[in-house]
Amino acid sequence: MKLSSRQILFFLAAVTPVGKLILMPPQLAAAARGDLLLPVLAQLPVQAALVFCVLLAARDGRTLHEMLARRIGAWGAAAVSAALALFLLYAAFVPLIEQKLLVQSIFYDTLPSYVVFAPFFVLSAYLCSRPTAGTGRLFDVLAPLSLFGMAGILLFSVGEADFGALLPVGAAGAGGFLQGARRACAWFYDAALLLPLLGRFDYKKGLAAKGAAAYLAGGAVLLAFLATFYGVFGDIAVIQVFAFAKMSHFFAGLTVLGRIDYLFIFSLAFVMIFYAAMPIQGAVQLAADCLPQSGKWLPALLSCAVNAAMLALLYAFNFYSDRIIDLFTGRLFFLIPAAGAASALLVLLLGRRRRES
Amino acid sequence: MEQQLLSGDLAADRAALKALLPAEDILFRDLYDAAGTPFVCIFADVLTDKDLLAEQVIAPLQRAVTQQKMERVLAALRAPELRTRQSLAALADEVLAGNPVLLWEGGTDAAVTGQRKAPARAVTEPPSDIAIKGPREGFLEDMKSNAALVRKRLKTGELRMDALTVGRRSQTAVTVCYLAGICREQTVRAVKQKLSAIDIDAVPDASYLVRFLSDRPYSLVKQVGTTEKPDIFCAKLAEGRLGILTDGSPIALTLPYLLVEDFQSAEDYFMPPARATFLRLLRLFALIVAIYLPAFYVSAQIFKLQLLPVKLLLTIAGSIRDIPLSPSLEMLLVLLVLEVLNEASIRMPKYVGMALSVVGALVLGETAVSAGFVSTPAIIIVAFSGIGLYAVPNLIEETSIVRLAMLLAAGSVGTYGILLLTAFGLVYLVSTENFGVPLAAPFSPLVRRDLRDALVKYNLHSLKTRPASLNGPNKRRMK
Amino acid sequence: MKVKRFFAALPGRLCLFLAAAVVLIFFSNDFGLVDIQKTAIVLAAGIDREGEEFSLTAQIAVPKGSDRTAGGTSSVEIEGKGETVPDCIRDIYGKTGWVPKLVFCDLVLLGESAAREDVFSCLDFFLRNEYVPNSCRLAVCEGSAKDLLSSQSAVDDTSALALSKLFSDAAQKSGYVMTTSLREFAEGYYGVSGSGYMPYLRALPQEGAQTEASGGQSGQKTGDASSGQTVYTAEETAVFSAGKLAAVLPREQTFALSLLHGNVYAGTFGADGETYVVLKEKGSAQADLAAPAVRFSLDVRLQLYGTRDASAPDAIAKSILSPAQRARAEALLRSYLAGLWEQTAAAGCDVLQLRTHIYRTSPADFPAWKDALFSLPLLSEVDVKSVS
Repeated sequence: MKLSSRQILFFLAAVTPVGKLILMPPQLAAAARGDLLLPVLAQLPVQAALVFCVLLAARDGRTLHEMLARRIGAWGAAAVSAALALFLLYAAFVPLIEQKLLVQSIFYDTLPSYVVFAPFFVLSAYLCSRPTAGTGRLFDVLAPLSLFGMAGILLFSVGEADFGALLPVGAAGAGGFLQGARRACAWFYDAALLLPLLGRFDYKKGLAAKGAAAYLAGGAVLLAFLATFYGVFGDIAVIQVFAFAKMSHFFAGLTVLGRIDYLFIFSLAFVMIFYAAMPIQGAVQLAADCLPQSGKWLPALLSCAVNAAMLALLYAFNFYSDRIIDLFTGRLFFLIPAAGAASALLVLLLGRRRRES
Repeated sequence: MEQQLLSGDLAADRAALKALLPAEDILFRDLYDAAGTPFVCIFADVLTDKDLLAEQVIAPLQRAVTQQKMERVLAALRAPELRTRQSLAALADEVLAGNPVLLWEGGTDAAVTGQRKAPARAVTEPPSDIAIKGPREGFLEDMKSNAALVRKRLKTGELRMDALTVGRRSQTAVTVCYLAGICREQTVRAVKQKLSAIDIDAVPDASYLVRFLSDRPYSLVKQVGTTEKPDIFCAKLAEGRLGILTDGSPIALTLPYLLVEDFQSAEDYFMPPARATFLRLLRLFALIVAIYLPAFYVSAQIFKLQLLPVKLLLTIAGSIRDIPLSPSLEMLLVLLVLEVLNEASIRMPKYVGMALSVVGALVLGETAVSAGFVSTPAIIIVAFSGIGLYAVPNLIEETSIVRLAMLLAAGSVGTYGILLLTAFGLVYLVSTENFGVPLAAPFSPLVRRDLRDALVKYNLHSLKTRPASLNGPNKRRMK
Repeated sequence: MKVKRFFAALPGRLCLFLAAAVVLIFFSNDFGLVDIQKTAIVLAAGIDREGEEFSLTAQIAVPKGSDRTAGGTSSVEIEGKGETVPDCIRDIYGKTGWVPKLVFCDLVLLGESAAREDVFSCLDFFLRNEYVPNSCRLAVCEGSAKDLLSSQSAVDDTSALALSKLFSDAAQKSGYVMTTSLREFAEGYYGVSGSGYMPYLRALPQEGAQTEASGGQSGQKTGDASSGQTVYTAEETAVFSAGKLAAVLPREQTFALSLLHGNVYAGTFGADGETYVVLKEKGSAQADLAAPAVRFSLDVRLQLYGTRDASAPDAIAKSILSPAQRARAEALLRSYLAGLWEQTAAAGCDVLQLRTHIYRTSPADFPAWKDALFSLPLLSEVDVKSVS
């Protein structure tokens, strides 16, 4: 069972933007105010280029571990795969914190027990124990859900948006732009999410270009969301975490129809669950690729162990969410772009078009 | 063990068969041809059409001179279905299947004539898959009749009906039906292999086979389609599926199964596409509401009041004010009562069933509300959910369990629990395949062409190809 | 072999364990911290200030029970006191055992005392709290918020619901109510304009009221006029600068503000015994830095709606404004606009977001003009057209 190239494109166009709707918009608003689109505009082409590189490397048809093993031997491949797996787990941390905060906020009326987020890791462990290629089929369902949710939220909130709030362009100055770009880094590692999928989908001609274009299309939707977000909340955007769950609340029709905006909110929240689990799934896959094929239960055990470790870590830092996010988006901001770019360029160097036999 | 063959000594062979078939309803009738050659006709009293036996076997034999030669014996008989057997065990099986067996002096072969008459009811409209406009014939318990119902709808040599026997003691006849060149060869091979590998005492019904045919036998989700109507069965064969008829069961199985099949009804093809589309979407909506409504209702009360409009919330708050149970327990109780009523009303004799529905509706519902055990909104929610579930009756076994699981998730973790459980279900569904066909196709994986007859129903002119999800060799069904 | 069997049975055992855990939580209801039966559904919150202390009056909906013979929504007002708004809420919880849930709180009513200080000293909680909708309405009332919320409305059993009728879309289209939400007000407060507005409520005694009020609501609080039924008016608008109440605009200026915002449809105004109805209007307010002046422009289509004197059937059929009437309407609207500018400029309140406009279109000029803005003269352009 392999992923189809369509599923890869669905992931890039419709699933990746959804992972950036929780804490990134207010973080950007805090850094760049009305210029919050500019840091994202800068990140998108870079990430699209990295997506292009990773997809181009997929022409090789081998998994990342196989590519590495061919060049640097089994032990070297295992070491690099482990490093990449750790990088993905590192990248997963901010989305997990976001998810935890989101769950506590939008699914409850009063602050619930902190344990309510724990079942996420049961799902994540289950997802990680399934073949990664099966994830492709999820994208077939998640992509329309994501579009449905995003379109609904934008449709319901665009009437309340004052896009003039984005003016004057450049008011935040270079400092604001750089600060925004720096903070956005923690959310742009989508090319790295494709690494565990290498060798699990067939490269079709032009997929790399299409993938980059799909990513940019998804980025355009993200930009539209950010513009609407700032248009609706203006100067109080900085305090609007989980904005996607609040923006549509102002739609006048809700007084007649009831809170049907929850349909859109829950659709997006549903997609976010999978997006948050994806880096963990990728890390488990990269590690499992290094294991001997005969061990049927090893990947499942590995999945349980990794998820248990993430659960423990998340709850160990349960009361330091803000500090962790500040650390990841502040001092350690360079780690994700550096590791993301390095891994994408590495696979581009390793990957080689396999000759038709 | 070496197979014992006929010896040619009529008395000895008769005795040997009597030893194999000692039951009193197995009759041994001695007769002679016109030249006085002795014969023995052995048949099962309850399974043989004795008029036909007399007309096609006994009477012609008594007028013929056979000279103990097999060709002459067979030529004398007027039975349309004739074959010969040499092994005593095979002859015993034939007798038990209702086919009379004819032995004669000096014969090392025995003739098996086919005057089988299994008790069968008339062809009637089945209780499921009902169509207001459409054929009303339903399958019976008799496989030959069922095969006839199929054959009369698909008058083509491509229709193959491969016979197999399953069950060590029941020796149940199973027919694998498919259209050669349209159904995928690998599927046919795999199904036959799985059926042949079944080692079980008896197969009383087709549902026994389902578990052996599923790739995931412990799965909650069904992986084999069922139908009681030959028109639906034939339509599925024509789409490239494979069908299984089981002797003794009016339920025919179809493979590979797609989840979307149960949202389709035979009638959808007899009405305008817009109406069919509307009905399919309605079924989906009803099913979603049936599964999620009790869960969201409980979740709204315990965890997220905002899911309800404020006026409705106040009404509910008023209704549940004096209820001693927590919202989740209340809903669980009412759902369980519904399931008990449902189960009892199906099993009970019809005339008691009427009384039961009165007791269920009036006594339990009205009185429980008046007594303050349960609230009116809970009864309404469960009633609506109960009705909604029956919009897709073929999935009721799965959906009623899922509804209960959703309620547990909602009552323990809230809306997030519902979402997580749905995510679990989705991962499970999209990764389930049977005979190489994904259960959730054509939605996941997305098969665009098949979406024309999934939830949205296109006009017949647009459905020129067979479902690509089934991956059959012959794609085009209409030019 | 044993290990293999253990792993083979592991998924089943794990599922069983998970199912048992879920069932346990289900029956113990551990995560359901506050279910509907322990909750106080707060429909409105009134805030007053007494020195350094806040007093929060929560209007809590009271379910009527399963015997719903009477319609309407009953409510009870509970007061909590404390140094901050959360302290007040804790006080209410301590007194009643109900957990006040603010998710349905659609109105935050500020008493005059609270409005005289920076209102974000109390609104901060509502803005900060993830469980309070940013769409809840804000209003100021004459006197104490507690008194107004506790007053017996002639329109509805619950004063918050009666007030919500005043803030309806239809009421806003009349042009005499300018509503605002927590989000809009906070945007103004934290934005470059530093200003905002809220409807200013007054409770008026309802004279001659009978037991059944219009609107058909009946219930526990109904009584006759002597029992003190009230009606509310929100035709005045309180304007805020730096979060403090700066002025109260009378109804004419509220109408002018509505016109400039383009909110009015079928709103009426009158003079000299004639009433006009606004059928279409377009308004704008801009700071013209080249002139320099503040420009208010109004383009309205009016119809004669009623006169004090009897008219001929022909005149009624056409309802067209004569040139004199048009001129009178124009002059009247100009005077409203002038009054509005005069009042807001005097209060230093940028209720028309002129600073925001300068900031967005000419950011370089903003520092120079942000304070000098209110010294600019007003140029109002009113174009009245008659429609029949």
